[in-house]
Amino acid sequence: MKRAFFTLLFMLFPALVHAQQGYLEVTAQGSHQLQLAIAPPVSLAGGQSAEVSQETTEVFRFDMSLAGPFTVASPRVTEGRSGIRPGDFDFVPWKSAGTDLLIKTGYSLTGDNLTLECRLYDVMKERELTAKRYTGKRKELRRMAHTFSDEIMRVITGEKGPFTGKIAFVSTTTGNKEIYLMDYDGFNVQRLTRNGSINLNPEFFPDGREIIFSSYKKGNPDLYRREIFSGVEARVSSSRGINVTGAVSPDGKRIALAISKDGNSEIYTIDKDGKHPTRLTNNGAIEVSPAWSPDGSKLAFVSDRLGKPQVFIMNSDGSNVRRLTTSGTYNVSPRWSPKGDRILYCRQEGGGFQIHAINPDGSNDSQLTSEGNNEHPRWSPDGRFITFGSKRGGKEAIHVMRADGAGQTKVSRGKGEDSHPTWSPRW
Amino acid sequence: MRKGMVGFFMVLCCGALLASGCAKKEMMKGEEGISPPSTAKPAEQIPAKPSVKEEVVQEQPIKEAPASVKEETMKSAKAGESALERIYFDFDSFVLTQPSRDTLYKDAEWLLKNNPVKVQIEGHCDERGSDEYNLALGEKRAKAAMNYLVTLGVLADRLSIISYGKEKPLDPGHDEAAWAKNRRAEFVIISK
Repeated sequence: MKRAFFTLLFMLFPALVHAQQGYLEVTAQGSHQLQLAIAPPVSLAGGQSAEVSQETTEVFRFDMSLAGPFTVASPRVTEGRSGIRPGDFDFVPWKSAGTDLLIKTGYSLTGDNLTLECRLYDVMKERELTAKRYTGKRKELRRMAHTFSDEIMRVITGEKGPFTGKIAFVSTTTGNKEIYLMDYDGFNVQRLTRNGSINLNPEFFPDGREIIFSSYKKGNPDLYRREIFSGVEARVSSSRGINVTGAVSPDGKRIALAISKDGNSEIYTIDKDGKHPTRLTNNGAIEVSPAWSPDGSKLAFVSDRLGKPQVFIMNSDGSNVRRLTTSGTYNVSPRWSPKGDRILYCRQEGGGFQIHAINPDGSNDSQLTSEGNNEHPRWSPDGRFITFGSKRGGKEAIHVMRADGAGQTKVSRGKGEDSHPTWSPRW
Repeated sequence: MRKGMVGFFMVLCCGALLASGCAKKEMMKGEEGISPPSTAKPAEQIPAKPSVKEEVVQEQPIKEAPASVKEETMKSAKAGESALERIYFDFDSFVLTQPSRDTLYKDAEWLLKNNPVKVQIEGHCDERGSDEYNLALGEKRAKAAMNYLVTLGVLADRLSIISYGKEKPLDPGHDEAAWAKNRRAEFVIISK
């Protein structure tokens, strides 16, 4: 055990060193996982609250189970002293339970005011790795805990987690396709649009304060921009024909989308207010679903110019078109990873779609899903996770998984069919 | 030990300061997000008119009816719909089949007889393709129908097109019979 842990530390230290460069693949295959335990949250002042305690534990358990580097364990540890500060509890029982990392949480709930104090310990070294205190209202408990999950990821991997992020998606809860917003783990669902029409394909701006989406609310499938907090909407593309599959450039200044005013759908870019359209493709075939590279210099997109839909890449001025996907007869929905190293797409096979990832040079194609029908993959802002729509038996629902396809988990629990998820920038 | 505690407190204070400063800012942003969308306009909720749902067909037994033959009899007598017959397409195709051309010939005759009527042609797809690609494919289907009607003598300015991709299936089933019905172009009279 000890030996294993030393190996772990060797894995961790390079991680911290690499943190400055900003990237560590946390799901390195074959690596030993850290055993993480969540101590029962304790009341620091005021009364006990079983709900606070349980909800805090649930959030940590969900985030850390998805995270990748951890196995979340539930050891039966009887603590003599159950404080949360260094010196206020004993490491020994945690050590003998095999715990590598320990989350200790204390709360004080006074009326509606909540303080949550969270501490992460390296059990073997008997060392505190990070400590944070969050204050706010009771209803912000989940958000506080997600914030500490993000912090744990920063400490362990060198890069903050995306767990405070939101997912925008389309749901048929009301009978129509409306846009909704929820925490990434499916809680706090809020409805954004209420126009009773068909609304599709939400995407965030890089600041997370606005989305674009397509809507039939005025009859034609037009592209809209909407401020999330105020609800103010502007129609930014309403050419005759379709104005769909919009994607915001990484600098937030341009929108790439498919417009069909020329007779069939072509890829255009427009300013965020719809001005200065630039046509990038000129082809009698279908072109849809543009996806920006993280530096904004290239776009992946779908075209059936060779007969069946395939993913192509071009420069963002329309030059240098080349085919990306060469196997499979129907490949759609590309999405470029935030680090630029992988492109997600969906391949139709056996009557349904499966999510694949491929290098931008066409090498190293790997299939990430195999159960049910899986569509519309979108990266988390740190590129370590993917959200997607999946139908596995019951209703279509929003799912999340790690970038290598592990840890597939259903997160939406609504009454409708949920699809078209997209993960917000850090909220 | 005491030294350790002092050190610990400094760490804690810094951590807590950073954390609370940062958390509060984020909280406010989070809070902003919570009220407006959910309380803004409850009045509009659940529009009574689910625009163009095809409930009539939902009740049809799925196995029956090789789509292209019997479909016409199911037509609901809804406002906006016409004597014009739907046409059907093969998977991932906007090519007009011979039965579709025959139907369009009849549709063109009707249009030429009912001269001032303007029609919007809706292009639809089955659920199997990707929804994004299908928006473009549905448009190609509508356009193929429109172009053929024009070659048969219908004036282009009486015809317009819209694509609904796979958003408005005629048959909610998940088998070939349902898909065949859903890969279609429909004709909706928009002015007489």
